[in-house]
Amino acid sequence: MAEIKLSNISKHFAATIAVEEASFTISDGEFFILVGPSGCGKSTLLNMIVGLEQPTTGEISVDGQVVNELDPKDRNMAMVFQSYALYPHMSVRENMAFPLRLAKLSQQEIDKRVTRAAVVLELEDLLNRKPRALSGGQRQRVAMGRAIVREPKAFLLDEPLSNLDAKLRVQMRTEIARLQRRLGTTTVYVTHDQTEAMTLGDRIAVLYKGRLLQIGTPRELYECPANLFVAGFIGSPTMNFLPARCKDSNLELPLGSMRLSETMSQQVELSEGPVIAAFRPEHLRIVGEKNSPCDGVQFEAQVELVEWLGADLFIYFYATTEGFEAMELPENLDITTRDKDRQLLVARIDPATGIGEGGTVNLCMDVRRLLFFDSSTGERFRQDKSNVISIRHQ
Amino acid sequence: MTTTKDHGLSERLFWGLGSVLVVVYALIPVFWIISLSLKRSADLGDGRFISATVSLEHYQAVFSDPQFPAALWNSIGIAGISTLAAVMLGMFAAYAIVRLEFPGRRLILATALAIAMFPPISIIGPLFNMWRVLGLYDTWFGLILTYMTFTLPLAIWILSAFFRSIPWDLEKAARIDGATPLQAFIKVIVPLAAPGVFTAAILVFMFAWNDFVFAISLTSTNDARTVPAAIAFFTGSSRFEQPTGSIAAASVVVTLPIIIVVLLFQRRIVAGLTTGAVKE
Ligand SMILES: Nc1ncnc2c1ncn2[C@@H]1O[C@H](COP(=O)(O)OP(=O)(O)OP(=O)(O)O)[C@@H](O)[C@H]1O
Ligand SMILES: [Mg+2]
Repeated sequence: MAEIKLSNISKHFAATIAVEEASFTISDGEFFILVGPSGCGKSTLLNMIVGLEQPTTGEISVDGQVVNELDPKDRNMAMVFQSYALYPHMSVRENMAFPLRLAKLSQQEIDKRVTRAAVVLELEDLLNRKPRALSGGQRQRVAMGRAIVREPKAFLLDEPLSNLDAKLRVQMRTEIARLQRRLGTTTVYVTHDQTEAMTLGDRIAVLYKGRLLQIGTPRELYECPANLFVAGFIGSPTMNFLPARCKDSNLELPLGSMRLSETMSQQVELSEGPVIAAFRPEHLRIVGEKNSPCDGVQFEAQVELVEWLGADLFIYFYATTEGFEAMELPENLDITTRDKDRQLLVARIDPATGIGEGGTVNLCMDVRRLLFFDSSTGERFRQDKSNVISIRHQ
Repeated sequence: MTTTKDHGLSERLFWGLGSVLVVVYALIPVFWIISLSLKRSADLGDGRFISATVSLEHYQAVFSDPQFPAALWNSIGIAGISTLAAVMLGMFAAYAIVRLEFPGRRLILATALAIAMFPPISIIGPLFNMWRVLGLYDTWFGLILTYMTFTLPLAIWILSAFFRSIPWDLEKAARIDGATPLQAFIKVIVPLAAPGVFTAAILVFMFAWNDFVFAISLTSTNDARTVPAAIAFFTGSSRFEQPTGSIAAASVVVTLPIIIVVLLFQRRIVAGLTTGAVKE
C-alpha cells in the first residue's frame, strides 16, 4: 500500500513530448484511472511510476520517499501489461511463482500464495498449463495472478482488458474491481475505454497530448468537465456541442436564445473567441400531450437515425447552424463538425415513444444543464447556480 | 470433385517423389563411404555398392594408429570450446545490438557480415606468421581463436534475428517482478532464444569440426591437429596401397558426432516457443 506522488513530471523522447508537467497524488488504496486517446502518454506515465522509464524532469515519490533513482525491481510494484507479457516457457504456476522466487521466499510460502491467488482467480485447474494453451481471458487472469501474489505496494495496469471480447471485458472489469476492493491496494489503471474509467475509478485523470486536463471523480468529470476535450471524451454517446453567439447578456443558440446570468455574461464578454454550448443527450426530452410542458428551449427535430439499445433509444438529428461561426473542437473526439451549416445532435429518449427514422419530434432542452465553453481556450466558463436566467421564445 | 482429388494425389506424388529423389541424391555418397569403410582391403576396388563381406579392419587400423584418437580428441575439444565461446559471445553481442541504443550498432552488424564473407585462404599466410610469433601455432587456443573469430558474425546474425522476435515486454515484466537485468536475461530471454542458440551452435560446430584449411596450416603435430587435417596424413597399411579404406572409416567416425549433435539440438529447435506470451 502506498501513496504515489508525482511532482512536475515531464518526459521527452527526442523531439516528442510524451508527458508534460504532470502533478498529482494518488492516495493510499485508491483506484486511480488514466484515460485519454491513443498516444497521449498514458503508458509512458505508468512506465515512469514503475521505473521502466526515467522522467526527464520532476520527481516521483512513494510514501514520501523519492524513487526516481530506484530500480524497478526494488520498487515492489506489480504491473499488468497491455500485452500480458506472460513467460511462455513457464507454466501458469511458474509464471505466478516467478516474482516470489526472485524475492527468495520459502517454497512453502510460494506454494501457499500461488494456491491462494489461483483460488481467487479460478485458475486452480490451469496451474500446469503453458500460456499458449490458455484463452485470452485466462491469460489475463494469470497476468493478474502474477501481480497479486506479490502483495505489492501498488498495481499498475496498462489496458489489461483491451484485447478481450465485449462480454469477457465486462466480466473481468467487475472481477478487477472486486479484487481491488478486497485487497485495498493502490491501483493505477490505464485505459482508453471511458466505460471502464467511469465504472472502476475512484478518480479519473484525463490526459490529452501529454497534458493532464482534469482530475476528478467520474461524476465530477461527467457533470462538470473543465474543458471541451473532457466534455467530449467522457460520456457515451458524446455530449452535444453547438456554436453560440452572445450579444449583451443574450445568448443565441441555433435552437433558441436565452438570457444569461450576470456572472456568466461577464465571463463570456471577457473572452475573445466564440462560445460553444454543450449538453448531454439525456438533457433533451420529448414534449407530448401527456408530459409536462417544456420549461426550456423547445424545438422541432427531424430524426435522421435511430439507435435502439433496449433500455434506451438514441435519436440523431441535425440542427441548422447557419449564420454561426464554425466550431473548432479538439481532435480525437468522435464528433464531426465537417458539415457546413448543420450539426448532428443526439437525444436519449424513452424507447416506448416508438419514433422511426424520418419522423419529426418536438424536443425540449433543459437549459439549466447547459455548459458553456470558450472555444479559443477550450475552458469552461465557471458558473454559480445557473447560467441561464430566462428563455426567450422565438 | 474427382478432379480435385486427382489433383491432390498428383501433387502428393510430385512432392513425395521429389523428396525421395533429393534424399537419395544426398545420401548416396554417404552410403558409398560407409560401404567402403566396411570392405576388406582386397575388395576395395570391386565397385560393388553393397559389400559382399563385412569387415572392421579399417576401423581397427584407424584406432590403432595413435594419431587418430589424438586428432579426434582435439577435434572434439576445439570444436566444442569454439562453439561455446562463439555462441556465448554472440549472445551478448546480439542482445546488445537488438536491445540497447548506442551509436554504431548498424555498423557492427555490417562489419560482422563483412568478416564472415572474407575468404579464409586470404589470411592464412599472415595468421600463420602471427600465430608463430605469439606462440599460438599448433595449440588448441590458436585454432579456437580462429574459429571463434570466423563464426562469431554468423552467430551474432542468427541470434540477433531471434532476439528481435522476443517481445520486449517480457523483459520489462521480469524487471518489475524483481529481476536484475542479468537475471531477466538468463531466466527469460535466453530460454526463449534457445532455438536461435541451438541453430547458431550447430552451424558454428560444423564450421569448426569440418574445417580443413586452418587446421592444416596452423598445426603441425598431434598437439592440436584435428581430424580433417589428420586424415590427410593417413598412410595405407603398405606403401603400395592407397589408404582409401582408412580414410573412409575415419570419415564415418567423424561424421557420427555431427549427426548426434544435430539430432540432439534439432529437437530443441521447435517453432513457436514464444506463442502465448503476448496478445496477438
Ligand atoms: N520509446 C519511445 N521513443 C520515442 N517516442 C515514444 C517512445 N515511447 C512513447 N513515445 C511517444 O510518446 C507518446 C506517448 O506514448 P504512450 O505509449 O505513452 O501513449 P499511450 O497513451 O499509452 O497510447 P496507447 O493508448 O496507444 O497505448 C507517443 O506519441 C509515442 O509516440
Ligand atoms: Mg499505451
